[in-house]
Amino acid sequence: MSCTEIISEIPLYCYGEVSSEVEELIESHVEECAGCRAELARHRKFLEALDTREDAGDTSLLLAGCRARLRSAIETKKPSFWQWQIPFRVPVGAIALVALGFFGARYTPEKFGGIEASFASPMFSTVKSVEPDAHSGQIRIAVDDVRRHVVSGTPQDPHIEQLLLSAVREESNPTVRFASIRILNSNADSEQVRQALVDALTRDPNVDVRLKALEGLKPYGGDPLVRRTLANVLLKDDDPKVRIQAIDLLTTHHDDSIVGVLQDAVRKEDNAYVRTHSVNLLEQMKASVGTY
Amino acid sequence: MHDAAETVSARLAPAITDLDEAGLIRAAQKGDADAFERLVRQYDRSVLRIAMNILRAPEEARDVYQEAFLKVYRNLHAFRFDCSFHTWLYRIVTNVCLDHLRKRKVRREESMVVDTSDGPVDRGSQVEEEGPHSNPERQMWNRELAGKIDGALAGLTPRERTVFELRHYEGLRLRAIGEMIGTTEEAAKNCLFRATQKMRSSLESFV
Repeated sequence: MSCTEIISEIPLYCYGEVSSEVEELIESHVEECAGCRAELARHRKFLEALDTREDAGDTSLLLAGCRARLRSAIETKKPSFWQWQIPFRVPVGAIALVALGFFGARYTPEKFGGIEASFASPMFSTVKSVEPDAHSGQIRIAVDDVRRHVVSGTPQDPHIEQLLLSAVREESNPTVRFASIRILNSNADSEQVRQALVDALTRDPNVDVRLKALEGLKPYGGDPLVRRTLANVLLKDDDPKVRIQAIDLLTTHHDDSIVGVLQDAVRKEDNAYVRTHSVNLLEQMKASVGTY
Repeated sequence: MHDAAETVSARLAPAITDLDEAGLIRAAQKGDADAFERLVRQYDRSVLRIAMNILRAPEEARDVYQEAFLKVYRNLHAFRFDCSFHTWLYRIVTNVCLDHLRKRKVRREESMVVDTSDGPVDRGSQVEEEGPHSNPERQMWNRELAGKIDGALAGLTPRERTVFELRHYEGLRLRAIGEMIGTTEEAAKNCLFRATQKMRSSLESFV
């Protein structure tokens, strides 16, 4: 088999969909041929990447709703045919409704690009309580509804910027905060944005978010507010990656006001890189390394 | 044909003997509601999972479930045991899924993946909560990649997408897939090959 033929068989080979004869030919060929071996490796990497897409997930709750809906449809068409003898019809109905509520909240049409994706305001419903009445067969469900809407605009759009700032400060999901900061970093010339980055660097519980905020502050290493924040981070942040970035940024500008901080860092720091850099910086500034 | 159908059955549903199944089908054909319910319950979990994996939209998967089993209900009397029940059922399910995919193309629905200056972002995927110490950079990368994969899948023809989803994500053999979509193994193979080429080309910058 030629290289072209081998390469055209690789996708099916990886799925185990070639005959054993072809499989052997491919295997002996790739052992000898570096180009085809590399192509096989690239294809396997592609298949691995495809597997990062999550499985459709547990469908058991959705299934309860589907079964109830099918039963109802068939009962409507031919009442005598679909008479399930389930002794707990009310609880089953309640579970189905809770399931629908749950999926209404978790999997909105918009999220999955479903058939109602063009709806302007998909509803998120959270079922707060369910009270089945065994006598009447009625169910009382308390539901909290929240509507999601999509706002589009450039990162410079003031409305978008406000939403991003709000996400950085209030959003509990670190991925959303991270994504917001990544976009806001391009607007760090705004004092308000810089303040938000400083706050995130100082307070955010997630280290990746803090590092991303620090990245946005890099062009402002000479700004007094940023330098104070970096000095604070250098002494207090519990993650060495953040402290390393902080000392690197502090060393880009020399000023005497951070001598005390650097001396403290030399005394307290357990990370060798940070300690060495603090010492070097103090020496460059002709300041004493220790405090007396 | 029967071997491939058995492969589908083994992969997708718990075992049920042919005798039991034939008896259930005959009873359901005579109007036995309990037998029909047992038939539905034998297969409905895997039917819903296939629909979810192909369509990635619970509302649509729910509709596929409903449409497919209503078709079974309406046409069961015409089932003559020319093929196995699961082959017949999954053929119905994949056809209903294909119809939904085709309607989507016509509808040109709004994509969930939006292009931003920082690359594609899946608007919906950001609602899930994560712990404060999760790795958002990795999560974002995975989400962007997942968004890119969904975008690439949306670029396939409905048939290519169905074959690709069933082979790659459901792990079904091409022979079984061919039977499900009413074509030959060779045609399913060609379809998978085209789908894979398109997917790789779409994801080139990511992998």
